[in-house]
Amino acid sequence: MSTATVTRRTEGEPEASPRRRRLTPLRLLLHGFLITVALVWLFPIAWAVLTSLRSYDYTAANGYVSFGGWTFDNYVTAWQTAEFGQHFLNSVYITVPAVLLTLFLASCVAFVIARFSWKLNIVLLGVFTAANLLPQQALLIPLFRVFTQVPLPEFMSDSELLYDSYWGLILINVAFQCGFCVFVLSNYMKALPRDLYEAAMVDGASIWRQYWQVTMPLCRPALAALATLEVTWIYNEFFWATVLMRTGDKFPVTSSLNNLRGEFFTDNNLVSAGSVLVAIPTLVIFFMLQRHFVRGLTLGASKG
Amino acid sequence: MSRPQSQAEYLARLVPPSVAGLNRRSLLAGAAGTGALLGTGLLAGCGGDSGSGSDSKDVSVGSNQSDPKPKDVTAKVMDGFKTASGITPAINTVDHNTYQENINNYLQGKPDDVYMWFAGYRMRFFAAKGLASDISDVWGKLSGFSDAFKKASTGDDDKQYFVPSSYYPWAMFYRKSVWQQYGYQVPTTLDQLTALSAQMKRDGLTPIAFADKDGWPAMGTFDILNLRINGYQFHIDLMAGKEAWTSDKVRKVFDTWAGLLPLHQPDSLGRTWQEAAQSLQQKKSGMYLLGLFVGQQFSNEEQSDLDFFTFPEIDPAIGAKALDAPIDGYMMARKPKNEANARKLLEYVGGKDAANITVKNDPATLVANSSADVSGYTALQKKAAELVGSATEIAQFLDRDTRPDFASTVIIPAIQQFIKNPKDISGLTSSIESQKKSIFTD
Repeated sequence: MSTATVTRRTEGEPEASPRRRRLTPLRLLLHGFLITVALVWLFPIAWAVLTSLRSYDYTAANGYVSFGGWTFDNYVTAWQTAEFGQHFLNSVYITVPAVLLTLFLASCVAFVIARFSWKLNIVLLGVFTAANLLPQQALLIPLFRVFTQVPLPEFMSDSELLYDSYWGLILINVAFQCGFCVFVLSNYMKALPRDLYEAAMVDGASIWRQYWQVTMPLCRPALAALATLEVTWIYNEFFWATVLMRTGDKFPVTSSLNNLRGEFFTDNNLVSAGSVLVAIPTLVIFFMLQRHFVRGLTLGASKG
Repeated sequence: MSRPQSQAEYLARLVPPSVAGLNRRSLLAGAAGTGALLGTGLLAGCGGDSGSGSDSKDVSVGSNQSDPKPKDVTAKVMDGFKTASGITPAINTVDHNTYQENINNYLQGKPDDVYMWFAGYRMRFFAAKGLASDISDVWGKLSGFSDAFKKASTGDDDKQYFVPSSYYPWAMFYRKSVWQQYGYQVPTTLDQLTALSAQMKRDGLTPIAFADKDGWPAMGTFDILNLRINGYQFHIDLMAGKEAWTSDKVRKVFDTWAGLLPLHQPDSLGRTWQEAAQSLQQKKSGMYLLGLFVGQQFSNEEQSDLDFFTFPEIDPAIGAKALDAPIDGYMMARKPKNEANARKLLEYVGGKDAANITVKNDPATLVANSSADVSGYTALQKKAAELVGSATEIAQFLDRDTRPDFASTVIIPAIQQFIKNPKDISGLTSSIESQKKSIFTD
């Protein structure tokens, strides 16, 4: 920490920075607390990275609380044994369309809820929000049955069923994620000034135009924030992928992480390396969209 | 209405007739509509690249052999089949644990034509539910299997549903060098085992390495004690829920075990089997009851130092001829897409050629077919094969010999509780019995 520099500055140049607050004990306490919390959060990740960089033989012989045995082989082995290349691609097939579709459908519903007063307005919002509270696992058996009964043409899925197809997974993810997105987007859209729509109507803009050309561009921050969250959630989802898929080669990368577990024996260092690899895309997305993320969420929250 | 026996039955009851008879065409139209909505071209890759269809040159195989070595061997065996028959097998590998946890869904969904599974109760369970096809005709063409293997492949209706491919025995493993150093002799009775253990303690060794963090390794100890004390038939009936856990016979098993516990490595609930095996490898423990896979914790040079003996006799009337030797193999789905090819494949994987390919490529497994050329076996493998070959009965390991839900939700916590507190045996057995009654409902 820069405590030393801070002290020196306040002594030497008292008016150097008007924004720099004085170092009170309370402030020290706050920083101490924040640092501790940050460390607690970072520790598991740092530990995983550390573990992933050590060879199993070394940690088996010396324990994990030791120093040495550095190697990069775990990453190479993990990538090869779990066939991450193919599985990352599978995750893309599922995540990208699912996120786009979720945002599109959710924004349509949110637009209607926010802009029109009709009888079922609140009910509709309630239904979409309530769906968030439903434990997904409770629907497993009926959904499994439905999925094994719905046929798809062969060009869409070689299983010729919704079961064991990317379409099914996309559908499931869209269905489960729409509720939350509708909730956030409708709140956000309600906060947009009404004048805009009155002006648009005076100019003769159709409903579609009001939605697509007036509302959507204004919703960019909210959409970006939701996109970040949704990419992470859908990408991290492995429950449905494991249950509704049967072809190992079609599993998304999160489910294929299991490939690193052996029948009798699990090399924890290898699994760590795999987990770090799998976590990277979500981190990249988050850091890319971080700005929008924070702005989008607070904007949606501060509705007047 | 009676309570459903299994997830399979439960699922089957959930389908209302209206859905069962749903018009396929209208659903297809709906699906096509969805497809049009999504049809952005982004998903072009979704169809998969295997040009499936009812072409008679294909057969699909579901495999749980996800570890690198066995996966490679499976691929080689399938190549061998392709060369021999001209039929192309498509292997669908799913990691071992997921495969096992998902088996119910998998078999009721759209399973591969041929799938890998375990012999024993777990095979009979799915066979009885109609989730596997009768392959007695394939068995008519197979040779080289002992009666014990055939018994393990036979369903409740005396038809065969399973083709064994590989197996491994459970036994007491030890390091020859350690035993030579101290001059230990292989014990053949329980008293000799106890005496040997006492001697090991005096020599500063932990007599029997032990670990049960994951819950399953200690099942092996229960199995072998029950097999030695009460015999194979009682063990199998107990596993099938037909015998009472509160009986004196089961009590005796736990009593004997409680007597042996002080000879085991303490604090076993915090230890994985790898760590226990390492204590054997580091010459800190004298012996370890585990499967042949214990060798995975030994380096290549140390493999020849590893030896084993079968668990000693406890009751002379029962003998020491039965043991746990889980068998892996293949089964056929209930409605395979390419049935003729599936039968051909089963015949091939049960045959000598497939066994030879396995022996040549994987020194860690034992092949089930006795007509295979086993000159490539290590001394340890040879001895293991002889041990199993001479066994009068082969049990499949506790979690394969009983209902999976019983093994995981009742037995694992019960055994762990026993290890923590070996004194309260009657409380333990009556708790198991009452839970058993709620799971095995006939």
